Amino acid sequence: MSVPASSTAGLFTETPFIRKKRRTERLAQCLFGAMALAMVIPLLLILGYLVFKAAPLLSWDFLTTNPTNGMRKGGIWSALLGTVYLVVISLCISAPIGVLAAVYLNEYAKDNWFTRIVNLSVVNLAGVPSIVHALFGLGAFVLFARLDRSILAASLTLAIMTMPVIIASTKEALASVPVSFREACWNVGATRWQTIKAIVLPNSISGILTGVILQVSRTAGETAPIMFTGAVFYRNIPEGNVFAYGIKDQCMALSMHLYTVTTQVTNAPEALPYAIAVTLLGTVLLVNATAIVFRVWLRNRKKW
Amino acid sequence: MMTKKHQLQWGVRVGAVAAIAAGLALSGCGKKEEASADGVKPVGKITSIQNIGSDTMVNLAQAWAEGYHKVDPSVSVEVSGGGSGIGVAALINGTCEIANSSRALEPDEVTKAKARHGHDPKEHLVGWDALAIYVHPSNPITEISVEELSEIYKEGGKIDKWSQVGVTLPGGDEMIRVSRQNNSGTYHYFREMVVGKKSDMKLGSRDMNGSKDVVELVSRTPNSIGYSGLGYKTAKVKVIKVSKKKGDPHVEPSIATTWDKSYPIARPMFMYTPGQPEPHVQKYLDWILTDAGQKVVEESGYVPLQKK
Repeated sequence: MSVPASSTAGLFTETPFIRKKRRTERLAQCLFGAMALAMVIPLLLILGYLVFKAAPLLSWDFLTTNPTNGMRKGGIWSALLGTVYLVVISLCISAPIGVLAAVYLNEYAKDNWFTRIVNLSVVNLAGVPSIVHALFGLGAFVLFARLDRSILAASLTLAIMTMPVIIASTKEALASVPVSFREACWNVGATRWQTIKAIVLPNSISGILTGVILQVSRTAGETAPIMFTGAVFYRNIPEGNVFAYGIKDQCMALSMHLYTVTTQVTNAPEALPYAIAVTLLGTVLLVNATAIVFRVWLRNRKKW
Repeated sequence: MMTKKHQLQWGVRVGAVAAIAAGLALSGCGKKEEASADGVKPVGKITSIQNIGSDTMVNLAQAWAEGYHKVDPSVSVEVSGGGSGIGVAALINGTCEIANSSRALEPDEVTKAKARHGHDPKEHLVGWDALAIYVHPSNPITEISVEELSEIYKEGGKIDKWSQVGVTLPGGDEMIRVSRQNNSGTYHYFREMVVGKKSDMKLGSRDMNGSKDVVELVSRTPNSIGYSGLGYKTAKVKVIKVSKKKGDPHVEPSIATTWDKSYPIARPMFMYTPGQPEPHVQKYLDWILTDAGQKVVEESGYVPLQKK
């Protein structure tokens, strides 16, 4: 914006009216900038406070050892691994279904009653509170499908919870590909599937992936859906073995561990809940950062 | 547009997606794989025991699970809390091997479990818990009778001020009652033993979701009173003596007074199995009753079983 400003200064003499206009402009810019900055401050404050409080406990051993001595000492290995299992398995279930459903809704579906019902249920499912998903998971997966309380049942519950959001974000990413691209493709005789494969998906993949990966944070952070379906208060697993959990086992999870340590364990070290929170936040931020880097990389390859 | 090139790009992208998916899976686990180099070799087949229920017992159950892991690493005990009611529900639904309960099963619960599994659930007495009455450390009160407690917590009970039990508090005379949610075994026991089965609890108490929550709230609230397992005692609260009736000797909750039954509000802690347990579950229950298992009870702040 400095270019037009200097060119106007060269062409016209500055009148009070123009000066006032520029002052207002600068004021608006500062105001909006300050608001944008204000978004960053809470995150930094939260992170700083947590890390400061957690500092005495944070170490490599904290991540790689099981909790001991009534969960007051030791680390959080079993909870960390449990969270990783839940996130990975639930995304493996929800991402393919969600993405494919969104492709259908955006590329194939005609605007008829069926599509409208599907869209309506997606929107409504996205608005269901997580505790309701928990009860549904308990009834449907744990009791009815006889999966018992297990990683599989918990992951399925989480997958049901994240799927509508994945569908919504994928649909948005697909819709951002201009219709003229598809029309050009159809006009040279390509079928719908050829168009999707060659034009639509390659051009929207970064948006789709971002939507999927951002669900990691939600999956990792939820306590309610896993509380009844597969997360336990305590469980001992071999340290250092990444395959320590089976899919039919129950597991500990970071979010649940944080909850139980703060509400249940007496005389726990003050830093313990903070250290668990830092680990949870760190895991989520790490995944999100990966998502952002990947997205930037994909966007740079975009040809339009 | 150049379709050939596009297909190529698409191929590259599919590859990238796969790579990221793999990367994602590994980034979560990568660090641990390094650790496994010097770490423990995976133990053969691990049998798990599902253990769920009483909130009062969950810390104890956790301590047992931790202790038993050293005795038999091939068994992994999965402990969850939630409340005795949740444990009993899991027992009836058959979603657990052992249900913890800080109260005995009600007759209709036994009927339901029998209808579901074909035989009566099996009861295992595993320890005792003295229900302690907690107040704020600044409170000068040293003892209270069960009768007074009843008047405090019962619907229509007369006591709602500290002056009525003979103490003056600088913070305010109003008594803040801290209680538990209604699927808690502690709540059931307290209601039965103190308030009486026929009476309801007085409305307006703070009903907390966990044993620790009660103690925490009392430690922050100068004019409050609450009940919770003795195992949840911390340095920030005061435990007062309890007598059966006004005038009777006041008794401090402890192992000895629980054993000789002089402490009026001590209760048994049970583990229930849906029937005759499987051998590995039976072995675990047997270990709990050994000296080693009962030592864990004492270390966790509960009352072990009396030695025969």
